[in-house]
Amino acid sequence: MPEARQEKEPVLRLENIVKRFGGAEALSKANLTVRRGSVHGLVGQNGAGKSTLIKLLAGLHQADEGRIEIDGVAQDRLTPHLAEALGIHFIHQDRLLVPSFTVGEALFLGHEPRIAGTPFLDRRAMRRQAEETLRRYFDLSLPSDALIAELSAAEKQIVQITRALIANPKVLVFDEPTAALVRREAELLFRLIRRLSAEGITILYISHYLGEIVDLCDTVTVLRNGRDVATLTVSETSAAEIGALMVNREIAELYPKPTVSAGEVLLEARNLTLAGSYRDISFTLRRGEVLGMTGLVGSGAKEVVRTLFGLETATGGSIAVKGDVVVPANPVGAASRGLALVPEDRRRDGVALSLSVLENTTLASLKRFSRGLINRRAERHGADDLVRRLQIKTDGIDALVGTLSGGNQQKVAIAKWLSRQSEIYLLDEPTVGVDIGAKVEIYHLIGELAERGAGIIVLSSDIEELRGITDRLLVFFRGRIARTVATAEVSSEQILADVTGAHESLRHVG
Amino acid sequence: MAASAQSTHAVGPSRKLSGTIGRYALVAALVLVFALFASIAPGFLSGANLLSVLVNNVALLAIAAVAMTFAVSAGGIDLSVGTAIDFASFAFVSLVLAGQPVLLAIVGGLAGGAMVGLFNAILIAGIGISPFLATLGTLFVGRSVQQLLTNGGNPVYLPPNSVPDAFRVLGHGTIADIPLPILVTLVILAASWIVLARTAFGRSVIAAGMQASVVRYSGLSLPRINAVTYILVSLIAAVVGLILTSTVTVYIPSSGNAFLLNAIGATFIGTTFDRHGRPNIPGTALGVLLLGIVANGLLLSGLNFYWQQVGTGLLIFSVLAIGFGQRENVTRA
Repeated sequence: MPEARQEKEPVLRLENIVKRFGGAEALSKANLTVRRGSVHGLVGQNGAGKSTLIKLLAGLHQADEGRIEIDGVAQDRLTPHLAEALGIHFIHQDRLLVPSFTVGEALFLGHEPRIAGTPFLDRRAMRRQAEETLRRYFDLSLPSDALIAELSAAEKQIVQITRALIANPKVLVFDEPTAALVRREAELLFRLIRRLSAEGITILYISHYLGEIVDLCDTVTVLRNGRDVATLTVSETSAAEIGALMVNREIAELYPKPTVSAGEVLLEARNLTLAGSYRDISFTLRRGEVLGMTGLVGSGAKEVVRTLFGLETATGGSIAVKGDVVVPANPVGAASRGLALVPEDRRRDGVALSLSVLENTTLASLKRFSRGLINRRAERHGADDLVRRLQIKTDGIDALVGTLSGGNQQKVAIAKWLSRQSEIYLLDEPTVGVDIGAKVEIYHLIGELAERGAGIIVLSSDIEELRGITDRLLVFFRGRIARTVATAEVSSEQILADVTGAHESLRHVG
Repeated sequence: MAASAQSTHAVGPSRKLSGTIGRYALVAALVLVFALFASIAPGFLSGANLLSVLVNNVALLAIAAVAMTFAVSAGGIDLSVGTAIDFASFAFVSLVLAGQPVLLAIVGGLAGGAMVGLFNAILIAGIGISPFLATLGTLFVGRSVQQLLTNGGNPVYLPPNSVPDAFRVLGHGTIADIPLPILVTLVILAASWIVLARTAFGRSVIAAGMQASVVRYSGLSLPRINAVTYILVSLIAAVVGLILTSTVTVYIPSSGNAFLLNAIGATFIGTTFDRHGRPNIPGTALGVLLLGIVANGLLLSGLNFYWQQVGTGLLIFSVLAIGFGQRENVTRA
């Protein structure tokens, strides 16, 4: 019977896909086969190649090598328009809906129904179709003339999904769909996905949360370093096993780590709380210590770091620097207490691209170099020293930072605080977008800072990195510390399970 | 996103070369324009004319443009420099008429101008309104306030026989035969150059203008930098008001706005003089010289007043085109 045969046939087949950006291979011979009617999970750490794979499928990038088949037909020139025409639709948290459009306009943007035989939009049909779909799937009566800007994150997502459903999709791709949702909204989404699957729509589901994958999917493909390392039937595996496959268990000598005995307490947080973000966060940071923090987006880890630097104001609890209770109301106060932040968005917040290496390096420590006037010789000397010490590769200290590579820009962002002789370093994703050579140099630098008696907090989503360079680890999950542990005593699998809430989900199931 | 931060500024290996061409363009334009008018405009080269260019066309505009350079360096603009000039004039004139000593009137005038800056500082640093809109508002409010203070915009004269002559010193005095307005201008140019290029404050202003969020993330106070900048801008502009009033012995409401566009023009022409295209005091000074010479030369050539404006506009276009056109070519994709 043709029906049964079709069931077995993959609706998507990506074979030996290679995609390079510049010199770096984002995907090296990755494979993904999605059966018709399945709910297929796609997991992997940051940088594993998930988003590149999805962008290839969406026609946003073209593969350098390999073959993409949709419904058994090879597609070598996929465009976003063609992908939609072939029935593949994408639900992405960041996917832009024009905020000033009404719900109706947003739903039909690009494929507006016309009054037959005229170029005019059939507004009545638009409204009817929109309200019908919204009611049918979401039991929701969203006025179709409401503005997108007025909707919540969950409602915006519903509009996206509705937009896709109106086009009668074959495959719906959900890219990190729960990142912006609260628990209850996520539950509704899961219920919807199950229902869509029951109606015969194939689902490709990308998520960090292993718990969700285990709950929702029947098949899962694990990506690591641009390859598919396994495709598993979910009923025959576990969140822990998937996690183990995601992280490379071999930790090479990538992570230099000197042994430093911890000294006096530099920083102490007690029951730190920021309403709506995190609560009851307590920890200490000692001289010579590298404290790791990790957690998903929205877990509160990043907000805690921002609070320490005065970029957010806690609503409860206290922070003490060297025993003095302080309320860092702004970065000015935090920096003067010896705190230093190397922010995640390096090119926006970390370095000024059109200032020189010299000007960036001394920006946070200008007072040190000036008595009325800036002592130019001392300033150049200080910058030269740091460029040499951190092995910053630049044409000279007068070169603009925008001309430097990502890794060297990051070193400048760190040098800025070394110049100020800061003692407490808050490094937010310090090695994102940094090539492997510079990464190791940054790890060396972190070790050196610890040896000199600084305290360092590394906020990272790279579990290997945290395992390699930290002494202790705080794992954040949904606004709380899920685990505080000596790094040496915990496995990557355990960390990942804490980060993704796999334990919680297993508890739900079992 | 991160990409937007990098897109506005060109970076690349030939940057240094293009910077040199930009600097060359401004100096070359100055020499060229000077030579042109020396040959075609009767009386242009006479000592009396050149001195009058410096005193009447250049000195006051230079001070106003220096003020503007600080605002543009900080990544903003001050459309209310004219308002500060006017408020300084008004305060100065009022105090002299009230029989106060001239020194006190000068201090009062400076304070009157600085009040405009304080108002801007509250709007920009305190409330967070963009400099363009904040100072535009100040410009409008300032105009109304002046009309209210002067019965709908009547000039206030300083009758020579009823007030002491000392108030004319600023505009007409000389030291060692050099007119005081020129000396004051030189002092302000030199001091501003040092402040902007050689002090921690100047550096933080430039950094704030380039990438404000980095300044914030570096533990510097953006509100403080902005507040000090806009007060300083008005304080410098106030000097223009004092010299102007002392020269013409009359306060005419809203007359300070005449400096606004030329001050902006000179500042941006001046950016071509910097290797990285930043606002800078020497560049601004050259820009003012260029504008002053062109205005005077066109006048002496007997060109219609309205065509003079066209000439000035064309000049700004060509200098900016040469200075920045080179730069666009090396912008990395």
